[in-house]
Amino acid sequence: MKTLLLPDLLLVFSAFATLGLDLFMPRSSKAPFHLAWAGALLVFFVLLFLPYDQHAIFWGGYEVNGRGLMYKQLFVLSAAFTILLSGSYFQSGNGRQPLAYQGEFCAIILLATFGMFTVVSATDLLTLLLGMELATIPLYALCAFRKGCPLASEASTKYIIMGSLSTAVAVFGYSFLYGCAGSLRFEAVLAYATQYPTSPLLLLGVILLLAAAGFKLTLFPFHMWAPDVYEGAPAPVTAFLSVSSKATAIAFLAVLVNGPLAPLHDQLQPAFLLLAAITMTVGNLGALKQRNLLRFMAYSSIAQAGYIVLAFAGQGAMAQTSIFYYLLVYAAANYATFFIIAVIGKSRSEELETLQGLGRQNPGLAAVLMLAMFSLAGIPPLAGFTGKFMLFATAAQSGFYGMVLFAALNSTVSLYYYLLIIKEAYITKPASPLPTLVMSSIQRASLIPLTGAMIFLGLLPSVSTAIQKILG
Amino acid sequence: MNGPTLLTAIWLIPFLTVLASLPVDRHNHGLIKKISLLGNTVNLGLIIWLTVRFIESAGSIGTGAGTGATVLHFAMKLPWFELLNIEYNIGVDAISVLMILLTGTVIVTGILASWQVTDQAKEFFALLNTLVAGVYGVFISFDLFTFFLFYEIAVLPMYLLIGLWGTGRKEYAAMKLTLMLVAGSAFILAGILGLYFESGIASFDLMKLAQVNFAPSFQLWAFPLIFAGFGVLGALFPFHTWSPDGHASAPTAVSMLHAGVLMKLGGYGCLRVAMYLLPQGAEIWMPLFLVLVTINVVYGAFGAIRQTDLKYITAYSSVSHCGLVLFGLTAMTYAGMKGAVLQMLSHGLMTALFFCLIGMIYGRTHTREIEKMGGLMRVMPFLSVAFVIAGLAGLGLPSLSGFVAEATVFIGAFANPAPLNRVCTVLAVLSIVVTAVYVLRTANTVVNGPLREQFKHLTDASFMEKLPVVILLFTLFGMGLLPGWIINLVNGAIDPIFHKVVQQ
Repeated sequence: MKTLLLPDLLLVFSAFATLGLDLFMPRSSKAPFHLAWAGALLVFFVLLFLPYDQHAIFWGGYEVNGRGLMYKQLFVLSAAFTILLSGSYFQSGNGRQPLAYQGEFCAIILLATFGMFTVVSATDLLTLLLGMELATIPLYALCAFRKGCPLASEASTKYIIMGSLSTAVAVFGYSFLYGCAGSLRFEAVLAYATQYPTSPLLLLGVILLLAAAGFKLTLFPFHMWAPDVYEGAPAPVTAFLSVSSKATAIAFLAVLVNGPLAPLHDQLQPAFLLLAAITMTVGNLGALKQRNLLRFMAYSSIAQAGYIVLAFAGQGAMAQTSIFYYLLVYAAANYATFFIIAVIGKSRSEELETLQGLGRQNPGLAAVLMLAMFSLAGIPPLAGFTGKFMLFATAAQSGFYGMVLFAALNSTVSLYYYLLIIKEAYITKPASPLPTLVMSSIQRASLIPLTGAMIFLGLLPSVSTAIQKILG
Repeated sequence: MNGPTLLTAIWLIPFLTVLASLPVDRHNHGLIKKISLLGNTVNLGLIIWLTVRFIESAGSIGTGAGTGATVLHFAMKLPWFELLNIEYNIGVDAISVLMILLTGTVIVTGILASWQVTDQAKEFFALLNTLVAGVYGVFISFDLFTFFLFYEIAVLPMYLLIGLWGTGRKEYAAMKLTLMLVAGSAFILAGILGLYFESGIASFDLMKLAQVNFAPSFQLWAFPLIFAGFGVLGALFPFHTWSPDGHASAPTAVSMLHAGVLMKLGGYGCLRVAMYLLPQGAEIWMPLFLVLVTINVVYGAFGAIRQTDLKYITAYSSVSHCGLVLFGLTAMTYAGMKGAVLQMLSHGLMTALFFCLIGMIYGRTHTREIEKMGGLMRVMPFLSVAFVIAGLAGLGLPSLSGFVAEATVFIGAFANPAPLNRVCTVLAVLSIVVTAVYVLRTANTVVNGPLREQFKHLTDASFMEKLPVVILLFTLFGMGLLPGWIINLVNGAIDPIFHKVVQQ
């Protein structure tokens, strides 16, 4: 039973070991960086071999179960990729200033990941709040990591203000839940919600919690910060925000709506549908005119959040499986895109024009970019297609065919801007020759599993079956 | 090789061709083309073998004639995604076999016709092969998920094929085509998820779904979604606007494949999914679609008259002729459905030949404006004669494939005694006259008349260019002179579908 806690302990240990190593090594040393990603990958492999059919509660407030272990895999894998991605940002290139303090950067990523671990392990509202905060506060620091850059300061300030506001709203929401149930424990909230599923006080509290999750998940109308922060923060942090941070919010919602708030499903359904519909539309329309790749990814990820929330309107194993499966698929495509942005941004810049001529200069890199865009747009045979199909099927299962059609048409709109990227990379010829691109072996080695995931997650059924067995 | 393996091999070989050309040096165009040609020729051989075996087994097992259930040959089911009960469920009936045969012919001739592609040849043939693998996949899939998956694989490569190797307003055309077709898929997606959940059997298996009697209220909204969704690819009015721009901008082989084969996926889906599964919905909505399709046929023909660019003329004539496919379906008669399938084949071959010839003529004259051409018969007799024959097939001259197909469609359409059908049939038949006007005028302007000074040094087709033209001419005459075996096959396949759609 104690082994179930091993990954969490290992993760914290890796974080502090990274910090400690950084203390004793010269500034230029790469050792903390290598230790950090190796530690994260080690945690992932440990997680793979744990028994998923057991669950245990530690000290009355920290639960480890199958669902938690699944999400932890995603979180820690995402942390590993963010650290690998950040590697090239600490070296100087033509296109950008190098970042400093690599050891701290990696340690902060790992600590934030531990906060995410806590979110999926919570058994009471206080632990949940603690986890959410531990997952968010390190990101404030990360957003401001490019010291002296006005865009980064703007991003960080915006993120802190919006983030604190959302925390305040969440705490306010928790207080309503506590007021209703008389306890912070999930069982107490569940008992109250089962008895009074239409209690206005409870619903008010839940809506405030939704708002807090909506901030991290960039749901309308809490999405406004995303484009500025995504553009201002260093690209690896943006990747982390768009995958890990969103996955945390999804996990937060999954913990609540499948646990203490399960009886409120009928009341929450219209809210999820509405949020999904508006969010995907806002994201898709916003992305149409973007010329900066990071802002573009911000809007794209807003729209993607909309598709995921659509599945929350469904129920049961189908909903849980499709949501987690889509998160995996989305993470793979997003990280692949960010690795390409890292390669291009190093010797050029992060504007759309710098992709021109990629199809001729670097056919391999362009092909991966095309796969990533097609996967995000939901084009078969890539994983994004299967993932989206399952999300839409979840909505259809509850009879929302109109919403399925709306989301599918939205997806067509999104195809337009994903095709614009492909057009820039393949069709448009650069006006003047662009600097050649250099790929490091780490970037190459990271893109291989990501590309593999984009292709094979959608073709091999074993992953979705495994997820279904654990979550269903 | 047993039947299911053969079917799997047919869609897998184009993919393997792509993989085989991956390690080839980028500048070695010749080898890349040869690999592609070899793979697809072998595949065509397999397809012919499949056809022969199918005819044998159709004779012994039967096709389901006289009942409402199609008998699938070489069928196989493997579980795939358990979460949604998705299966790799393949098989063929006569329609599938004939469409696969058409696809095999068009891709081989298409590769021969793109022998002069040198710019990024590796990507070009990779995308072309991916596209054709998707097309084969659609024709053998009897699981709606797999069907939809292959359908999208067939549609998407078109964006880069037109955008990169096209001519004229290629970026606009590529984007318009892709977005319109994918929007059509959105309708199909909503429809097939509806079929899955409303059937009560939680299955995507087309043959199992065919045994379900869907609630009329469901059929009422699902039928137009699916029919119009597939109709976009079949150039159904008013969703046809991608077609002229797309076909005019696409490179030769892509126009051939797209107009020749891909547009048939639309009609195939309308018949196989929309009408076969939702007969009551079909009955309610058919008058509306009949009117739209009649507009297709007539408007396409008039559109072609107004054009001066050879590719636009052919593209509009495709709208008109593909309209005839849907026109046969909307007649809701036995002969009409039969005619629709025949027209798919006939139009596929004819339009492939047309685009192939236009590509070769354009490659020499560097213009597609018919006003600027003339007298080409004197410098390129082979291409000119082939061009005239293709035109005559288009206007339905007996002894060519067009006659067999169009006559069957019109007979089928008139067989429906409803006044609206009669009126629409008369209108559609009159479009033949319009077709004759533009075909004869175009052929006359291009082939006859005084030869322009700048064209005097032009040469006729080389051997490699003659090859695809001869193959296509051979099939056009073959279908026109010996249609019996094809009609027999189509009869067997249409009979169960007709039973299900009309007599239920």
